[in-house]
Amino acid sequence: MANDKHILNDEEIRKLVTARLSVLSSDTMISIGSEGSFSRDELISRVEEGDEIGNKIAEIEMAWLRSFKQDL
Amino acid sequence: MNFLITRPHHDPATIYLSVWSQEVINVAHNKGYTVIDIKNDKVTKAELTSRIKKLNPRFLMLNGHGSKKAIGGHDNKIIIEAGGNEKLLHSRITYAVSCKAGKTLGPKCTNKITNTAFIGYDDDFVFINDKKHISRPLQDKKAKPFMEASNHVAISLLKGHTATESSQRSKDMFKKSSQKLLSSKSDPDSLQAAKYLWWNMMHQVCLGDGKAIV
Repeated sequence: MANDKHILNDEEIRKLVTARLSVLSSDTMISIGSEGSFSRDELISRVEEGDEIGNKIAEIEMAWLRSFKQDL
Repeated sequence: MNFLITRPHHDPATIYLSVWSQEVINVAHNKGYTVIDIKNDKVTKAELTSRIKKLNPRFLMLNGHGSKKAIGGHDNKIIIEAGGNEKLLHSRITYAVSCKAGKTLGPKCTNKITNTAFIGYDDDFVFINDKKHISRPLQDKKAKPFMEASNHVAISLLKGHTATESSQRSKDMFKKSSQKLLSSKSDPDSLQAAKYLWWNMMHQVCLGDGKAIV
């Protein structure tokens, strides 16, 4: 988790995650566990704030990107 | 053979899981199972305990919000909990469509207990849906690959596959759907959906006796 906080403190990573979220259509909702369902704009705000939901979205994004590196 | 399913129905996530679970119930009926369907505000610890003790189902599908140690029912009130009533899951196969319960509850209820399996997720279960379809979840094409891949665990078990095989078949479906969406250029949401399908696949766990069958 400390590593995730480090990731979120990295402005470039935060911009990457919000840029990827920004292409979602406005009607799309993402349900994240028991935390609830969030719209594109809500998630972008959460990532920018670096709260628990924002951290989770960033964690998933980074895990996804790392999986490509491992597959190469 | 008895099959028990819990279907809380109080927020978007539980509504989607509840409605899409009808697919599993239909397969169970077609295969000749007696379905014990605990729905809505009936999804409580007392009701679950009573039905399990009275009807002794071999297979449980527990939909609901969860944590590492517990699974919730109506209004997220705990219905099963590690260190509490997890013994109710002994000598059964459980599929928990519930976040993180595969982390602590799953290992706890399967540890050194024979003929017991627990399939679930050791991190958050994430899915995409379209808010235009919130009142008609079955018509939501964005949610469909998530719900179908998840349901495939239960459907495979009901069709006689082992716990390990059923989990693998579900993971294969998550992967196939993810790869299909990755190659899609028409839907702006496809890359995000592919990512969350992959996430669910990576975090689905099959614990305990992998050779267990319903």
